[in-house]
Amino acid sequence: MKDFFSTVKFKILLCVLVVLAGIMAWAGANNRLTAAPQELLGAILTPFQKIAALGSGGLADLWEKYTSIDSIVAENEALEEENAELRRQLVDYEKLQAENQAFRDLYQIQQEHPEYTYASAFVIGRDALDQFGSFTIDQGTTDGVEKGDVVVSDKGYLVGRVTEANLTSAKVITILSPSFNAAAIISRTRDNGILSGSADYVAQGQCTLNNLTRDTLASVGDEVITTGLGGEIPADILVGTVDQLVPEVSGQSTIAVVQPGADILSLTHVFVITDETA
Amino acid sequence: METRRKKHMLLVGKWSCYSLLLLLAAVMQTLPGFLTIAGARPLFILPLCMAVSIYEGEFRGALFGAVGGLLWDLTAGRVAGLLAIQLLVVCFMTSVLVQLFLRVNHMNFILLCAAAVALVTGVDFLFNYLMRGYSRSAWYYGTVILPIVIFTSAAAPLSFLAVRRVFERFARTE
Repeated sequence: MKDFFSTVKFKILLCVLVVLAGIMAWAGANNRLTAAPQELLGAILTPFQKIAALGSGGLADLWEKYTSIDSIVAENEALEEENAELRRQLVDYEKLQAENQAFRDLYQIQQEHPEYTYASAFVIGRDALDQFGSFTIDQGTTDGVEKGDVVVSDKGYLVGRVTEANLTSAKVITILSPSFNAAAIISRTRDNGILSGSADYVAQGQCTLNNLTRDTLASVGDEVITTGLGGEIPADILVGTVDQLVPEVSGQSTIAVVQPGADILSLTHVFVITDETA
Repeated sequence: METRRKKHMLLVGKWSCYSLLLLLAAVMQTLPGFLTIAGARPLFILPLCMAVSIYEGEFRGALFGAVGGLLWDLTAGRVAGLLAIQLLVVCFMTSVLVQLFLRVNHMNFILLCAAAVALVTGVDFLFNYLMRGYSRSAWYYGTVILPIVIFTSAAAPLSFLAVRRVFERFARTE
């Protein structure tokens, strides 16, 4: 083994290490997450992820059923009466129903915001190490998705923003992440605040509206919407409702804990606002 | 000439199988909801790269680890290169440890995996959570990182068996 450190192979490994460090430095310096070799890997991987994501709902269900095997045994006896053909038809029907529902939702939010152009996208990947709900969607720059585009749920609630757009996929940071910031207001009282994620509330799938005045008149159940200030997130996009109001540590302001209208941690389908004509 | 060509084809076949396994591992690792228990789920890329480094030696194993790490960087949305460097080093060390000190068996592989996952997720926790000053770090470590270490170690024999099968299949043919 001692000899290995003086071989050409070891020098090659050192070179690879230096190249990787260079890629990391380049990506960091250019405010990018990925570099050219990764975009190539991404283009190869995306079709596999798409195929796998198609069945992910079924796999997740299967896993849930496995963990509650007792009740499944009873259910299984009833389910065995269905033949394979009927089940296949049911799968087809459910797929059509999901697509139909997605288009209905798209129609509805297009009615509400005719000034935006939407791209339909499915969630194809989630990182096991990311607790703030970031995910990968199956739409990329070839579909018109760009870095900074806003992502909303089927019902039009704010989900997050595209942080990196590759050719066939894009990364989305969600409103649960502390790195996410957007100007928002309490719809009823017009109190201004900064919408952001918080490690304290991410487990409940909640985010926070910070910097509300100490004597805010906001109350539980009030709707939170975006203001459009800063230009990154369009105005009047629904976020969710106030779940609780807590004083900030210094006591100088109030934090509204917001329950997002979209279930961020288990989303499977979203819309990306690719163009704003207004 | 014929033997050399056959050897070359076998080599291509073997590394194609490893690459397919890597793609499968990446897909399984990022598949929404797959094998998720209480919000945590196992990693597949790291154990696979470690298994390859055990059977293919420190040089090829380290290079495979670097490719696996780049793929992981991509799928996780991390800055390119960080996980690649970590996996290159981890796979190199795994191969060296197995050659010098450890016997190749399931239990040793599980323990090695547990240590490696704890190291890699620990570095990720340090850079992406602790150093950013997020609150409830102990809670996050206990409820997210530790279950990932346990789940990954429990699922590690799958990668080990898959790589061993590919390696032995091609070794026998050779």
